[in-house]
Amino acid sequence: MRAVVRILKDTFSLNDLSRGERIAFASFLVVIFLFPLFVRISYFRSVTIKFLLFAMYGLGWNLIGGYGGQVDLGQAKNVGFGAYATAIMMTWWGIPFWLTVPVGIMIAVLESFAVAYPMFRLRGHYFAIATLCVALVWQQLFLFWDWTGGARGIELPIKPIPNFAYMQFRAVGYHYFILALFLAEFFFMNWFRKSRMGYQLQAVRDNEDASASLGIDVTWTKVKAYLITAAMGAVGGSFYAVYHLYIDPRSVMQLDLSILIAMTAMVGGAGSIWGPILGAAILIPLDMYLGALFAGKGFYGIDFMIYAFIIMIIASQEPRGIWGIVEKIRGRARVSGS
Amino acid sequence: MDLAVQIATSGILMGLVFGLTALGLTLIFGVMDIVNFAHGEFLMIGMYSAYLTSTFLFLEPILSLPIAAGVGFALGIGVYYLLVKHLLSGPMVAQLFGTFGLMLFLRYFVMFILGPDPRTILHGFLVGKTLSIGAVAVDLSMVAAAGFSTGLFILVSWMIEGTKLGRALRATSIDTEAAGYMGINTEWMRALAWGIGGATAGIAGGLLANFYYITPTVGMLFTMIAFATVALGGFGSVRGAFVAGLIIGLIMMVAGQYLSHIKLAFVYFTYFLVVVIRPRGFFGW
Repeated sequence: MRAVVRILKDTFSLNDLSRGERIAFASFLVVIFLFPLFVRISYFRSVTIKFLLFAMYGLGWNLIGGYGGQVDLGQAKNVGFGAYATAIMMTWWGIPFWLTVPVGIMIAVLESFAVAYPMFRLRGHYFAIATLCVALVWQQLFLFWDWTGGARGIELPIKPIPNFAYMQFRAVGYHYFILALFLAEFFFMNWFRKSRMGYQLQAVRDNEDASASLGIDVTWTKVKAYLITAAMGAVGGSFYAVYHLYIDPRSVMQLDLSILIAMTAMVGGAGSIWGPILGAAILIPLDMYLGALFAGKGFYGIDFMIYAFIIMIIASQEPRGIWGIVEKIRGRARVSGS
Repeated sequence: MDLAVQIATSGILMGLVFGLTALGLTLIFGVMDIVNFAHGEFLMIGMYSAYLTSTFLFLEPILSLPIAAGVGFALGIGVYYLLVKHLLSGPMVAQLFGTFGLMLFLRYFVMFILGPDPRTILHGFLVGKTLSIGAVAVDLSMVAAAGFSTGLFILVSWMIEGTKLGRALRATSIDTEAAGYMGINTEWMRALAWGIGGATAGIAGGLLANFYYITPTVGMLFTMIAFATVALGGFGSVRGAFVAGLIIGLIMMVAGQYLSHIKLAFVYFTYFLVVVIRPRGFFGW
C-alpha cells in the first residue's frame, strides 16, 4: 500500500521542479485543454494534434536518447509497427482499436528486444547508424510485402457514426484522446526520471565504466530503456493510424520521421522533461506555418530551406536546445539576484 | 555462368563508385569524428554541376568533372567554416542534426533553383553506349566511372599515405591537440578533409550523372549507402571504404537481380550482421 502511494506521489508530483516551471506547465495544460473549445478552425486544431503527437513521440525518444544518451535514429520503425498493427487488424478483421494497441506494442517490443543486444554492443556513431539501418530494412520490407499493402498503403474503413471502439469521432475527440495519451506519457516520464531505473540510466549515460563498477548492468539498463521507447513509439503509431485513416511505409516508417522525432527532443533539450514539449511546440507549428506560407506560390522548397536553416542555427549555437537557453537565462538571473 | 559474370562485373563497377563516395565520408570522420548527413547532397550537387555544364555549356560530361570537383571542394570548405566548425564543440546529437539540417538545406536549395523534376544527361561521348566483352555487356559510362573512381581512390590514398600533407592529416586525426603543438595548422587540416570529401563526392556525382537520373532528392540514397559502406569498412579507414564499397556493390547487384525491390534492405542488413560480429567494421580503429 505504501509502495503504491509512493509511486503515485512520484508520478504526479512536480515538487522537485521550480515554481516557474510548474506555473508554466499548469498554464500550458489549461490552454491546451480549452483550445478546441475556443478555436474552431480545423487547420489550427490539426496543428495542435500534430504538436501533441510529436511531443509524445519526443517524450518516448527522450528516454533512450536524452536520459540514456543513445542516439536512436530508428524510432520510425516502432511508430510503423504500431500503425500497421492497428491498421491491419482493424481493416481486415474488424478488431476494435483498443485491442490492437497492445498488439502493436508487443510487436515493437519483441522486435526491439531481438535487435537490442547486438545493437548495444555498438557505441556512438556505430549505434546511431545501426538503428537507422534496421529501421530502413523494415521500411523496405513493408514497401515490398503484399500483406502490408506495399507502397499503396492501407486505408482504414470509415464508420458512419462516432464510434468509441473503432476510435472514430469528430476532431475534438482526437484532441482529447491524444492529450490523454500525452499526459499519460508525460507523467510516466515524470515517474521514470526519479525512479531507480531512471537514475541508473542517467548514470550509464554519464559514465558507463563507473556505473558498471557500482554494480549496474549497463547493457540491460540500456535494453530496458530501448524497449520502453519502442512501446511509446508504437502507441503513437496506433493513434496516427486511426487519426489519419491512411498509412503507408512512406508516412509512418520514413527515415525523416525517425530524425524529426529525435530532433523534437534535441531542439527542445534532450535529457530534460520539458525538452520534447518545447521542441515539438517550436518545430511542428513552424513547419506547418512555413508550409502554408509558401504553398502554391511557386517557391517550391523555400519553407524547408528556412526550416533547415533554423535547425542548423540551433545545432551550432545552442547544442543543448531551447531548454539550454532557458537554463542559461535562469543561471544569469540567479547570479544577479543573489 | 554468363549471368554470374555479368552481375559480378556490374557489382564491382558500381562498388568502385560507392567506394569513392564513401572515401570522403570516412576521411571526414577520421579527422574529426563527425558523421556527415549531407554527404549525398554533395554528390547530388556534383551531379547537377555536370548536368548544367554539359547541357548549357555544351561541354563533354567527362570534361565537366573538374568543375564538379571544384564545386564540391569549395562547398566542403565553405560548409566547414560556416557550420561544422561551430558544431564540433557540441554533443554528437547536435552534430548529427546540424549536418541533417545542412542536408535539407542543400536539397531544397537545389529544388528551389532548378525545380523538382528529374533530369538526365542526353548527350555525351559515353552516354548510352555499352561495352561488350564476350557475353558480358556493361554501360560504357559505368566502366568510365569505375575507372575514374579507382584512379581517384589511388590518388587520394597516396596523398594520405605518402605525402607530407597526408601525414599532417593523419596526425590531426590521431591527436588534434598534439598535432597542433607540432606546428600543423589543424584548423586547415579539418577544412581540407571537408574539401577533399566534397571534391570526391562531387566527382562521384559527376560520374554517376552519366548514367543515373538526377533529382534534388537523390542524395539521401547515396548518403545511406555511404553510411553503410563507411561503417562496414570501419569509420576512418580508407582501405575499409574501398573493400566495403565493393562488397556493397556486389550485394546490391546480386539482390537487385532477384529481389530488386528490396535490394537496399540487403545492404542495410549486411551492415547490421557485420557490425554485430565485428563492431568496428572490417578495418576500424
